[in-house]
Amino acid sequence: MNGKVILAIIVIVAGVVIGVTNFVESNVEYADFATAQLTGKKAQVKGEWVQDQETRFDAENGKFIFHMKDDYGRMCRVILDGAKPNNFEIATSVVAKGKFDGDVFHAEMVLTKCPSKYEGDSEAVKKSL
Amino acid sequence: MIGGIIVKIAFLSTILAVVLYYRVHRTQSSRWLLIARNCYHVATLSLMTAAAVMLYLILTHQFQYTYVWNYSSTDLSIPLLISTFYAGQEGSFMLWALYTAVIGVFLMQYTSKKDYEPEVMSVYSLIVSFLLLMLIVKNPFEYIWNTFPNDLLSSGPIPKGVANTVMLDETRSIWARFPVEGKGLNPLLQNYWMVIHPQVLFSGFSAMAVPYALAVAGLMKRDYNTWIRVATPWSVFGAMVLGTGIILGGYWAYETLGWGGFWGWDPVENSSLVPWLLCVASIHTTLTQRKSGAFVKTNFALSILAFIAVLYSTFLTRSGILGDTSVHSFVDPGMWVYWLLLGCIVVFTGIGFGYLFVRMREMPKVPVEHTIISREFALFLGAFALSFVALFVVIGTSSPIITTIAKNKASAVEISYYIKTNLPLGIAITFLSGLGQLLWWKHSKTKSLLRSLMLPTVLGLITTFVVLLLGSEEFLILLFTFCSAFSLFANLQVGYGIYMGNPKFVGGSIAHVGIAVMCLGFVTSERYDDKKTVSLEKNRPVEALGYTMTYVGYRPYEGEKYAFDVEVEHAGNKRTVAPTMYYSDFTKGVMRHPDLINYLTKDFYVAPLSLEEGGGIAQKIELQKGHQATVDSLTVTFNDFDFDAFQRGAMLEGKEFSLGAQLEVHDGKKKTPLMLLMKGTAQEQEFPPVPYTALNGTQYEFMLVRLIPDRDDKSKSKVEFTVKKKENKAETLVIEASVKPYINLVWVGTVTLVVGFFLTIIRRVAEARSKVQTPDDE
Repeated sequence: MNGKVILAIIVIVAGVVIGVTNFVESNVEYADFATAQLTGKKAQVKGEWVQDQETRFDAENGKFIFHMKDDYGRMCRVILDGAKPNNFEIATSVVAKGKFDGDVFHAEMVLTKCPSKYEGDSEAVKKSL
Repeated sequence: MIGGIIVKIAFLSTILAVVLYYRVHRTQSSRWLLIARNCYHVATLSLMTAAAVMLYLILTHQFQYTYVWNYSSTDLSIPLLISTFYAGQEGSFMLWALYTAVIGVFLMQYTSKKDYEPEVMSVYSLIVSFLLLMLIVKNPFEYIWNTFPNDLLSSGPIPKGVANTVMLDETRSIWARFPVEGKGLNPLLQNYWMVIHPQVLFSGFSAMAVPYALAVAGLMKRDYNTWIRVATPWSVFGAMVLGTGIILGGYWAYETLGWGGFWGWDPVENSSLVPWLLCVASIHTTLTQRKSGAFVKTNFALSILAFIAVLYSTFLTRSGILGDTSVHSFVDPGMWVYWLLLGCIVVFTGIGFGYLFVRMREMPKVPVEHTIISREFALFLGAFALSFVALFVVIGTSSPIITTIAKNKASAVEISYYIKTNLPLGIAITFLSGLGQLLWWKHSKTKSLLRSLMLPTVLGLITTFVVLLLGSEEFLILLFTFCSAFSLFANLQVGYGIYMGNPKFVGGSIAHVGIAVMCLGFVTSERYDDKKTVSLEKNRPVEALGYTMTYVGYRPYEGEKYAFDVEVEHAGNKRTVAPTMYYSDFTKGVMRHPDLINYLTKDFYVAPLSLEEGGGIAQKIELQKGHQATVDSLTVTFNDFDFDAFQRGAMLEGKEFSLGAQLEVHDGKKKTPLMLLMKGTAQEQEFPPVPYTALNGTQYEFMLVRLIPDRDDKSKSKVEFTVKKKENKAETLVIEASVKPYINLVWVGTVTLVVGFFLTIIRRVAEARSKVQTPDDE
């Protein structure tokens, strides 16, 4: 009985430790470019696509390159692993998840926030009359 | 509106059924039993009728209903049209309620023979009533003019020539217009998986309500043991159906959605996994209670929790609370649904655990008779580990809520969180699922245990060694491989023995073999996969990952969708894959679907990234009237706007109009006028591109961006447009190619697991039928 209780306690403590450390480690926080560059940690940066700067798909390496301005107005070159995200042109804002490498932000994922495209759209109902 | 009334009738009938069944339970007289049954049947029939009405509305394109307009359109095929029934929130709740209600009819028959009907059905009817309440709060039969009154309602006489109108109030002459076409189904869902996957998943969700109802009924009746026998076939059924649903979803994601793998730890996936894990854990702990009477409270708690997990999952994925942090766009259903879902969790947790707490003191205390090397203990640890996986997944999925509370900023966890936390548990679970089968109840003799451990251990080590040679040096992965292989061989060994003795009892071993094979498949396909981004110039073979690929061109299908044919040569074998890409008006973006070649030992997976047509980059130019700009060798002048009074009038009236800007291109000595146009209505405009070929052969494309008139000083009016230089590069398809070794193991394992569950159901149903207790020698 005693052995079992000790074993159980070890298992539970180990479980809690693994859980908590991983939870904290893998939670990627929202930050602006300045903070993300300063800490060098993985972060999520919200901002807007800068249309008149270089925006292209680098076919050789399969990377999408664009420029993004964060909420504080700082512009940064972003290199995304992969193709241009859906809804990129019409997005009201984009969120890039990744980290800095020098002055370039290497994103592993870019999410696009779109103007209401889902239900409750009275424009859509007018169109389909 | 008839549908809405039928739903309300169904709701009231279930409430009545709850009250009457509870009365039968309290009075222990069958006076009200027949009426209670009829109430439940009325509810089920009403709900079936409501569903039939809904289906009729969808099939006949009744776009005066918001739901029909929102999710379907006239161009869908019949199977897809049927599937729009559950494409949205309201419809999927209706499907869930429908399946729950129908399962209840069988449950009623089944429990009436087990002397369990009033208690089970009072709890079960309450569950159905909550689901129906959801349909009342979020009515799937709402008229579209009630959803958009400002846009669609008018008063006065109906003007001539306006189609699709309906007079709502003759005396006050209020009338409404309604759409002629629906918004259509999200292209991601336009797939045969949409026809089957949600149905299976919701059957599984519905089945989870049964063990809950039986557990609470056991508590009501102060019967702490026999409820398990009654419940087990249902738990196994639930685990089988939900498990099938989950894996179908995984295959869908892998095969057509192009997630690259079969599991993305997405909230939607996670939320169906958690109830499954808890249900499977409860199946294991009930085995011990059958044998030694231990784990009474655990079994109640797990059966209750599995259903609470279904409710919590529903809350997470449907309430809009995950908001921006998920790739899935969850529609915010409004405050009512949010609070109702939360209320559901509180009520059913309260009933389940409230009863458990009240009855806890009366429950028999069973002295522990087993040692550490016993099957009981292995089962306990295994169920414990499964519950821990469930807990970790719940915490990970709830991360946006936790971080909002802690830091006031919602953020989701990375996929690595799930892998790091669950890998050690996976190792424990696979090891125990092998070891547990080799152990005896109560206590195992060390000597016989060691003898039976020999073969699986040796074979497991050999498998691990092979994997090691193939190139993994990660210790935990190797350990996971060993434990999975160990479990596979241990269960084959034990299963063979059982099969020789009594083939009916072999279900458990087969299910474990399935899980072990799946786990091996996880390792090979997810840890030993190879990935590469490749640019395929048209008709030029490129070699990557041992495959020679040639992009041979694209072809349209289903209207404006495009399939990109790539010839793949591997080991003297030539096949063609056709990943697809197209622009979707629905999502306002490019949809990409992968294609794959399934070899016996691996999958070759091709995900399209983009098509480069030698387009070059557009340059944006703003010009004031009369000014010039240079583009390479060209000089462009903006002369004037082109809109007359007629066009302006049309624009103000909301009719179609076309406005333009007159440019002049000087190319050496040649002068060419160019007219850039903007066509459309006040809501939506088009900007047709205008091609221009320079004297030196370079091709350009001009496109209007906007007109900036200056009312005070017309000479200061400006125009903004883009110029794109077309480059003479060959058409190039960019893809991500990957090789997934032995992914077939995952699918083979899945099928084996389902077969194992199925055999177990047959056995447990037979056992629940017989009055005599069968010995458990599994």
